[in-house]
Amino acid sequence: MEVAKQGTSKAGNWRDYERVLLPKVKNLHKLEVYEENGGYQALKAVLTEEKWTPKAVTDEVKASGLRGRGGAGFNAGLKWSFMPPVDDKPRYLCCNGDESEPGTFKDRQLLEYNPHLVIEGILIACYAMSITTCYLYIRGEFADWITHIEHELEKAYAKGYVGKNIMGTGFSTDVVIHKGAGAYICGEETSLMNSLEGKRAYPRIKPPFPAQKGCWNYPTTINNVETLACAPLIINKGAEWYSAIGAPTHPGPVLYGISGHVNRPGVYEFPTGMLITDLINEVAGGMRGGKKLKAVIPGGSSTPPLRADMIDGVTMDADSLRTAGSMMGTGGMLVLDETVDMVTWLKRVSHFYHHESCGQCTPCREGTGWLEDIVGRIDRGEGNVRDLDLLADLCTQMEGRTVCALADAAAWPVRYTIERFRDEFVAKCKPTLTPAGSPLTVDA
Amino acid sequence: MATVTIDNKQYEFEGRPLLLQFCTDRGIEIPHFCYHPSMSVPANCRQCLVKAGTPAVDRATRQPKLDEEGNPVIQYFPKLMTSCSMEITDGMVVHTHRSSELVERAQKDNLEFLLVNHPLDCPICDQAGHCPLQIQAYKYGPEGSRFEFEKVHKPKHIKLGPRVMLDGERCINCTRCTRFTAEVSGSHQLTIIERGVNNFPMTPPGVEFDEPYSMNVIDICPVGALTSIDFRFKARIWEMSSAPSITATNAKGSNCFYWVKNNEVLKITARQNTEVNDYWLPDEDREGYQRFNDDRPHGPSGKTDGGMRPMSWEESYAAAVDVLETADPARVLFVGSPHATVEDNYLLSKLAGHLGADTPVYLEHTVPGSGDNWLITDDKTPNASGCERLGFNAADVPLLRSKIQAGGYDVIYVLEDDPVSSGLFDSNVDAKVILHYYNTTNATLAAASVAFPAAMIVETVGTYVNVDGHAQRVRPAKAVKGVNRTLQMEMGKSRLDQHGTPFDKWYDETKLVDCKPGWEIIPEVAKGLGLELSYRGPKQIMEEVSTALPSFTGATYESMGLVGVRLSDTPTLV
Repeated sequence: MEVAKQGTSKAGNWRDYERVLLPKVKNLHKLEVYEENGGYQALKAVLTEEKWTPKAVTDEVKASGLRGRGGAGFNAGLKWSFMPPVDDKPRYLCCNGDESEPGTFKDRQLLEYNPHLVIEGILIACYAMSITTCYLYIRGEFADWITHIEHELEKAYAKGYVGKNIMGTGFSTDVVIHKGAGAYICGEETSLMNSLEGKRAYPRIKPPFPAQKGCWNYPTTINNVETLACAPLIINKGAEWYSAIGAPTHPGPVLYGISGHVNRPGVYEFPTGMLITDLINEVAGGMRGGKKLKAVIPGGSSTPPLRADMIDGVTMDADSLRTAGSMMGTGGMLVLDETVDMVTWLKRVSHFYHHESCGQCTPCREGTGWLEDIVGRIDRGEGNVRDLDLLADLCTQMEGRTVCALADAAAWPVRYTIERFRDEFVAKCKPTLTPAGSPLTVDA
Repeated sequence: MATVTIDNKQYEFEGRPLLLQFCTDRGIEIPHFCYHPSMSVPANCRQCLVKAGTPAVDRATRQPKLDEEGNPVIQYFPKLMTSCSMEITDGMVVHTHRSSELVERAQKDNLEFLLVNHPLDCPICDQAGHCPLQIQAYKYGPEGSRFEFEKVHKPKHIKLGPRVMLDGERCINCTRCTRFTAEVSGSHQLTIIERGVNNFPMTPPGVEFDEPYSMNVIDICPVGALTSIDFRFKARIWEMSSAPSITATNAKGSNCFYWVKNNEVLKITARQNTEVNDYWLPDEDREGYQRFNDDRPHGPSGKTDGGMRPMSWEESYAAAVDVLETADPARVLFVGSPHATVEDNYLLSKLAGHLGADTPVYLEHTVPGSGDNWLITDDKTPNASGCERLGFNAADVPLLRSKIQAGGYDVIYVLEDDPVSSGLFDSNVDAKVILHYYNTTNATLAAASVAFPAAMIVETVGTYVNVDGHAQRVRPAKAVKGVNRTLQMEMGKSRLDQHGTPFDKWYDETKLVDCKPGWEIIPEVAKGLGLELSYRGPKQIMEEVSTALPSFTGATYESMGLVGVRLSDTPTLV
């Protein structure tokens, strides 16, 4: 296989790409339509065909190179293989549909248009890890979608795809839908488990990792909705087919949630490794009103923003984005045009993380509010240039010093927005007393 | 043996201890707030960060990697680690703030964050002076603050329950209090509410924080967020002395500190003793300290033709001798006391033996069903077990009462108890009563011929044996009138005690109670009856008890120390 270089699309002939996660089938959310289109065949295969031992399923997913779509991008099959050997104790799967990172709205699309693919993925994962209970944790704001998927799940139960003795094979798995109560932190995997247990959603310290001690202290795996939706595809079409799609180190179809100042915002399914420019200019129909692009935030609000001059040749996969100075995150891409005041934008982002910090760890609890205070002051035109150094200092004081990654998620946008758009921040600060051109003046 | 290197010094260890506890045990201080040795580890304050690494292992050979000099290559964790939650492994290398600037900086950074929304109202905060946040901010914190915004406002002076007051703004969300109610007391009466920087502990709707152990959260709160409603604003910590002793509310003998200002006990807090009460103290042990201050007698008194009148100590001894020397020993009843120390009871039994009277009995004070199998016992006295070990039997009150009523006794000698309230006899009893008593509210006073004011547990030196057979010493927390070298030498001292003079305003003679410990009174009475009980002090008495009585083997002052000693259940005869 040819290794794609930075600067060219790794998505191959993406214009002819045929969607698999959200195929062009009308009413696919209905069980009968899903069945007509080959639905639950992958589940049937793993449950009935001899070659699909649980280990074989895990190995196939591992071989496909599927990386988690929830943000961290960890190899899903590898994660499954961390589950301890089966014993008589319970073990759980959690499907994370808490999707609450600003700029991310792709799981909702899956739950709306192809819920049975998610359910089938859950069942395959349960089979692979010998799990008999899965909790599908959906954020509370998705009330309508929760009703929708509950309805479809009931139908799947009625048809014997879920529940006791699935398709007469003796394999049983229950899927329980759990409704979140509107906290961003519940999307963090250990926090999600605490929330599920009815506790305060404080993230847990790791180790122990969920595979050792998860829900109710039993082995647990947590996967994103989109990650699990890939499982039936891998079983149906094979790991090789899957790993050939998109960027070799980060393969597969992916849902790009494009929002912001583009002509056609929305969720688009394409291979990974798409050029950011292709996504903006062709997929999303170009910049709205012909305005100039200012910044792209590739994977949800916590990923570092890229300046317009930084995105040439950058593709949407972990490696390319890391080289460019950002991250794949959830693939929820925010596109900002020249009218955006980056200080105001950062103020809004900082407000979000301040509001959503759970308050467990000191640096995050106190730091997020302080960041918002300072950015807000600059935004009001009352800030000082020295505040920018203080912000950078506070980011250092927060990053990597908390139980979960929320402190990092709050600090990165601040650090990188200032680093990459410093002029705008300096321009909004109160003028310094040092006259321009004096030897004390530092070029921004 | 497995080793760990902390700040370039090697230590041996066994098992998988937690780093923070391991360091604390060895006197290596690492600042921390949320960690508490007997609760779960949430690692949420992020104060105890250290730099740590483990020996790198070559993936191919599975052998430790070595550098050119043959030393193991240390692979440091990419992030600073919370020492409270990290288990030590063999070969681990740890750098605290003493050997790593990064760690020093991180601890400083964290304290800056902790103080950002803290009200810094130390001048009016009860916790000031013994506040972990205050102390550690001075030691490890930054010089000033760079925070220039309005602090977060949260509810203040909220009564969580009858005994505990919350100041939400001072709270640093360490969750020690909520973990206490969830993991130690099990009442689940506290939880964190709100989110992020607005977090603070609160009771669930409609619930009052009234569990019998609620005040422990005041002890473990590392800031002044939870304070005692009773003690608030009464005294600064540096104006008080604290004496390590035990409580006398029940038979558990939980370890405590008595906090004293101007010779008055103002509060009682828990003292660690893993053998007895761990770190905890029930609320009932903390309350009722007023009995040490209020209604205390002033000097002995005796009955003459004109009724009760104050006497000098010498007069009162003579009056007691008068009563006892003419009495028929068979018609003298000695009532020992589960409130009194082993020493006092022992001397009483010697006196009874000298006169030829029966072995003393003692009065039980139990409230069946009031105990909780933890730190609250049915028995409401501290030394019933000690009395039993001295060979005293619990009095059969109805039987003894009828005998007294029938005129079976001429003299009743009562050590530190209130038999009238217990119903042993009425205040118009015919027998002459010699009474050692604590408070003027004692109902037996009306029946007394001679009344000796006795030193209470906070004023004496002695030994108590708890319900589990744990012998523990008590130490004087407050002074009594008169000079007693033993008491003075054992006394806990405040800064004012040490550096003040009687001319200082805080010194008030009127707060000194004119009473004496039993081990000072009984020998004086015994002397008049021809028995020489010349001990240098209770320490020597206890030495004699521990040698003479197999049920007290090993209970010397040296071995009891601060944590006491467990007496054997089946004493072997010497």
